Amino acid sequence: MTDLVEVLRAFTSATGCDAALWTRESAAPPMLDSVSRDGSVLSTWTPPFDGPSGRLDSPAGPVIVQAIPGPRRAWLVVGPCTRPDPPLEVFVKFLLPVVTHSLQASLEVEHAATELAERYEEINLLYTISEILGRTVSLEAAAGLILKEISETVGARRASILVHDPERDVLQPVTSLGVGGVTVPAIPIGDECSVSAQVFRERRAIIVEGAASPCPQEQPYRRGTMLSVPIMWTPPAGGMQPLGVVNLSDRATKQPFTAGDQKLITAIATQIGSAIQNARLVRESLTQQRLVHEMELAHDLQMRLLPRAEIVAPDAIVAARVVPAESVGGDFYNLFRLGAGRTGVMIADVSSHGYRAALIMALAMSATAIHAQTSNDPGEVLNALLASLTEELESTEMFISAFYGVIDREKGTLRYANTGHPHAYIITNEGTMRRLAALDPPLGMVDEPPAARTVRWTRTNDLLVLFTDGVSDARDHQDVRLGEQRIIDVILAHRKEPPTAILDQVIATVDAHTAGAVRRDDLTIVLVRS
Amino acid sequence: MSFSIRKQADVVVVDVEGQLIVGNRQELKQKVLDELEKGERKFLIDFSQTGYIDSSGLGVLVSLSKKIREQGGELRLANLNDDLKTLFELTKLDTLFQIADTRERALESF
Repeated sequence: MTDLVEVLRAFTSATGCDAALWTRESAAPPMLDSVSRDGSVLSTWTPPFDGPSGRLDSPAGPVIVQAIPGPRRAWLVVGPCTRPDPPLEVFVKFLLPVVTHSLQASLEVEHAATELAERYEEINLLYTISEILGRTVSLEAAAGLILKEISETVGARRASILVHDPERDVLQPVTSLGVGGVTVPAIPIGDECSVSAQVFRERRAIIVEGAASPCPQEQPYRRGTMLSVPIMWTPPAGGMQPLGVVNLSDRATKQPFTAGDQKLITAIATQIGSAIQNARLVRESLTQQRLVHEMELAHDLQMRLLPRAEIVAPDAIVAARVVPAESVGGDFYNLFRLGAGRTGVMIADVSSHGYRAALIMALAMSATAIHAQTSNDPGEVLNALLASLTEELESTEMFISAFYGVIDREKGTLRYANTGHPHAYIITNEGTMRRLAALDPPLGMVDEPPAARTVRWTRTNDLLVLFTDGVSDARDHQDVRLGEQRIIDVILAHRKEPPTAILDQVIATVDAHTAGAVRRDDLTIVLVRS
Repeated sequence: MSFSIRKQADVVVVDVEGQLIVGNRQELKQKVLDELEKGERKFLIDFSQTGYIDSSGLGVLVSLSKKIREQGGELRLANLNDDLKTLFELTKLDTLFQIADTRERALESF
């Protein structure tokens, strides 16, 4: 083991005294390491090493057994000598520093070699993990490979990676090794008994000594000594955020985990943290893309549900438009050719926006298409619509403000029902305006059937004007409303033009007012001449 | 934009500051329902500092009114500005609520 044999040989040739070096590894008995002369008594005789250093009698004469100072347990044995003088103590005094120094130097070389091997393993591990993380975005797949690599490097036979689930506030196992087919339970963050939960809460690594965990839920993660390290992530805005925990236990060597192990696993946990966050961002981004795509599809579908203005020609000339606030909205209009010169016109606004409102809108459109054909009375039609949607409106706490009118150009009447729709008017060629006010609150707010009322309708002279509050409430950049009167004024000014031309003027007025400010509500406008 | 709640005699008075819209309606609803849960039965919502109510805000008022009535309680509204009054009239919501011009009159009417 040491390279002292040449030194000892030279010593014997110069002094006529034999010399030997004995060393001892932990619990094993002392071993003869080097001896100056084969065949001397020192190559066969084992001195007692349990007593203090000093003179002893070997079978061939007196010797000195001297313990060598230093971390390794070793002894220098000098004697017997061929000459009586000088005394053995003089030779020991000469030889001891040389042997001590040489032994120290060889120990340092051994340590350096071991450390180099360990660092090599660690660097290799970091390379491997970077490579694993670099080639996959699936956290689950990467976590399993990483855990295997870490466990092999530190000699842990039981290991797990737990990731925080913010919704349930638990540490959820992502991957585990050596649990023997046990179903590994999630650990609540507040669990006082669990080391993993404590590591997550306190954001610091913990090395636990000892036998089995006192917590039953912790047992799959731990056997004997355990190293538990938080997985940390640093957001771009700064500050550290814990994302999960790495647990390693049941070391094959039975040795406790060291500060070096902790340092290594902490470095790897930081890489895992970045990977977790990247995987989450990728997942969120994909979901977002899918949502945007689905919203676009829903918008297309919704626009296709709206009837073309031509379906009521030649009985009526209609211009109509819906501009949703989001990709999908809750506004709609519907047109029905009812025969004998009669035209049904509906405008409605489902409270709220987005998917749920769009779903109610689609249901309402198909329900009115059926009910408008089965009854000529607008009150009955809206009542039937309410009956079709009561359950949906109650469960979603939504309601519908709706106007439904039937123009009978032959009889010269407009019969209408109005449940909470504020903007319905007849504007005449002469420039008069009559409001067709709500007769009942919006559908879904009360259970009573909606009422209906009949007013005079002058053929080709009257213009039915319907719009939703998204038009009158359109805001500019200073949050100022456009207001109902401005819209009425524009329609009055262009009242003799065809409905499509009037509609363009209204839209232009809204656009000029909002000047690109964010739209908060759907806009719907319907203009009918018959 | 916020809601403040205080008790005047045996009436829970809620002040709505700013707007009652899709973004804050759930907050108002929860606050009132919490009081209802605690056993309160008389509620007054004061709109003297409210500029605008959108359709989902109106929906919450109707829903609260129903829930309070189911528990044998009463909801009154007070101090609607001219725009809001017109909105309630045009949508016929004025038929669903007891609306007072001032807080004092609303409190007296319980």
